Amino acid sequence: MRVLLIEDEQLIREQTCQKLQQKNLTVDAAADGEEGLYLGMEYPYDVAVIDLGLPKLSGIEVIQRLRAAEKDFPILILTARGSWQDKVEGLEAGADDYLAKPFHYEELIARINALLRRASGWAAPILKCGPISLNPTSQDVSINKQGITLTAYEYRLLHFLMLHTGQVVSKTELIDHIYEQDHDRDSNVIEVFIKRLRQKLDPDKSLNPIETMRGRGYRLTLERSSESTIS
Amino acid sequence: MNRLSLSNRLFITVSFVLIAFLSISAFSLNTAFQASADSTQQKRLKNYVYSLLTAAQFTESGEVKMPDTLAKPEFSLPNSGLYALVSDEKGTVWRSKSLLGLVIDPLLISQNTETEHYSTIELSSDTQVLNLAYRVIWENSIGQQYIFIFNVAEDLATLKQQKMGFERNLWYWLGGTGIALLLVQLIILRWSLRPLNSVANDLRAIESGLQQRLSNDYPTELKQLTKNINALLDHEEFRRKRYQNSLADLAHSLKTPLAVLRSDIQSTADLQTLQQNSSKQLKQISDLVHYQLQHASTEGKTSLQAPHNIKDIINKLTASLQKVYLAKQIKSHIDIKDDIIIHADEGDLYELLGNLLDNAFKYCRNQVKVTVEHHEDVTKIKIEDDGPGIPSELHKDVLKRGRRLDTQMEGQGIGLAIVGDIVDAYQGEIQLSHSQTLGGAEIVISLNQ
Repeated sequence: MRVLLIEDEQLIREQTCQKLQQKNLTVDAAADGEEGLYLGMEYPYDVAVIDLGLPKLSGIEVIQRLRAAEKDFPILILTARGSWQDKVEGLEAGADDYLAKPFHYEELIARINALLRRASGWAAPILKCGPISLNPTSQDVSINKQGITLTAYEYRLLHFLMLHTGQVVSKTELIDHIYEQDHDRDSNVIEVFIKRLRQKLDPDKSLNPIETMRGRGYRLTLERSSESTIS
Repeated sequence: MNRLSLSNRLFITVSFVLIAFLSISAFSLNTAFQASADSTQQKRLKNYVYSLLTAAQFTESGEVKMPDTLAKPEFSLPNSGLYALVSDEKGTVWRSKSLLGLVIDPLLISQNTETEHYSTIELSSDTQVLNLAYRVIWENSIGQQYIFIFNVAEDLATLKQQKMGFERNLWYWLGGTGIALLLVQLIILRWSLRPLNSVANDLRAIESGLQQRLSNDYPTELKQLTKNINALLDHEEFRRKRYQNSLADLAHSLKTPLAVLRSDIQSTADLQTLQQNSSKQLKQISDLVHYQLQHASTEGKTSLQAPHNIKDIINKLTASLQKVYLAKQIKSHIDIKDDIIIHADEGDLYELLGNLLDNAFKYCRNQVKVTVEHHEDVTKIKIEDDGPGIPSELHKDVLKRGRRLDTQMEGQGIGLAIVGDIVDAYQGEIQLSHSQTLGGAEIVISLNQ
């Protein structure tokens, strides 16, 4: 899942980037409001983390402009003052959640995961599709409660597919959401990752979890387990 | 450009009105006097005519004979200023001795058919007279009628002198009164505006630190203003003290976690234990900073606060929290009359209600209820939820946590401590109990307005 981070404090920005990447999230970072707004307008993000006190363009304004341009990905605001007036202003402008500085990275990641789940209609913190279960916090993936090991990009791919169960996802979409903006892209790599994922998720070829839709992309066919969706 | 001072404005307008008033009264007094002087003279002339008529002897043949001496000696003195002339249809029949050497054309004055006719006649280049031509008809015993015109003229110079004298007197008096009134007015203005000057002086004294607040002996009209300025000054002082206290408390309370951190760093060999310990201390430091910052920035109660509609604020906060706790699908019941307003700082209200509602949303299962009632100057804000509630033995500690942060309580934020602090700053009351309707926590805040 691809995250837009707009934060002017260099140390916090770099550390947050690193922490989010460790959790296998794809992160693009911007140091000021203008750059952040540009990225937000140009690329398909799944969630944005925006500091309210930004140079050039305030966080509130960035949120308002993104919402005005009908960008509907969830937004988490970071406030240094932590005053309720700030929080209300941010949420009224179009943000979905807030976090006061200083924050724990665990807290930030939990909030981001919650927003990602919410946006795609998942309620429980652990995503379960048929026998497959994925825990975005610990990044543990298991099949029938048997843990399996995935590489970073395999995990990112599965995370995205699970948050979009039943939907056809094109290769470009997959590339857009699992790679950073300046990454060297090669759509053939996706085919390789899918192939490996199928092998790991379905070694005896009885499940067939990922369907190939010729010319259109891929689809995770497994049903979400009922208790984990929002009615 | 500087605006005109109050005393100048008053002085200019009042002077203008005074001068206009005095001029108009002078003009009307003068006009009235002139008219009355004129009519007096006319009456006098008429009396002279009557006395001449009394003295005159009419004969059966239609002649008139005047005695040699008349009651008024001026008629007999040449150039005396009082003249008489009697004429009939044929011409002058009698002239008073005072007319010696002067010419009055009887035709000029006898043409009129009226019984009485007043006219101003120029006797010579520097003498003007007011003349009364009075027509009498004499009927003899056989019924023949003869017409006579009695002319009496009096020099206008006396009258003119009288008029001028009056005018002069009038101007002297009114001018004098005007100047006196202007002076009195200046003194009154000085005196009545003196409280304003002393406010300015007091404020200057406060600015330079010679005085703490404005003195109390001001006239009623200024009392409200000076009272508010004093309230503002007191509030500033209160805030300054609050800042000082916060700073001192913060510095003091940071020492403990910092000392613990330092000793941990020196003595703990195991990295994981160090991380755990230090993150606990850091959390405490962060809470302390947050609490003291909030404490310092709380405005507290002042007399000059704008009113805020409490329903608007609560609606905004619940809408925001609904978004944050979307996954919980919380039902919020808000029971507030539209017109309840609170005189308090907006930021304080947001902090107070934000923390309370956030706790309610955080700990509820899926219901939150907010009730605000206003009764006899007391606004009661009740917030209930259907969560596990706060155990009654912790009620006191929860509110005091900010002041005694070293007593750690897991699971509770410092939200309620901040709430307690703000309520204190407004001299309000806070009560924690169990909700009768929803079964969870119930918090009632009472604020005096």
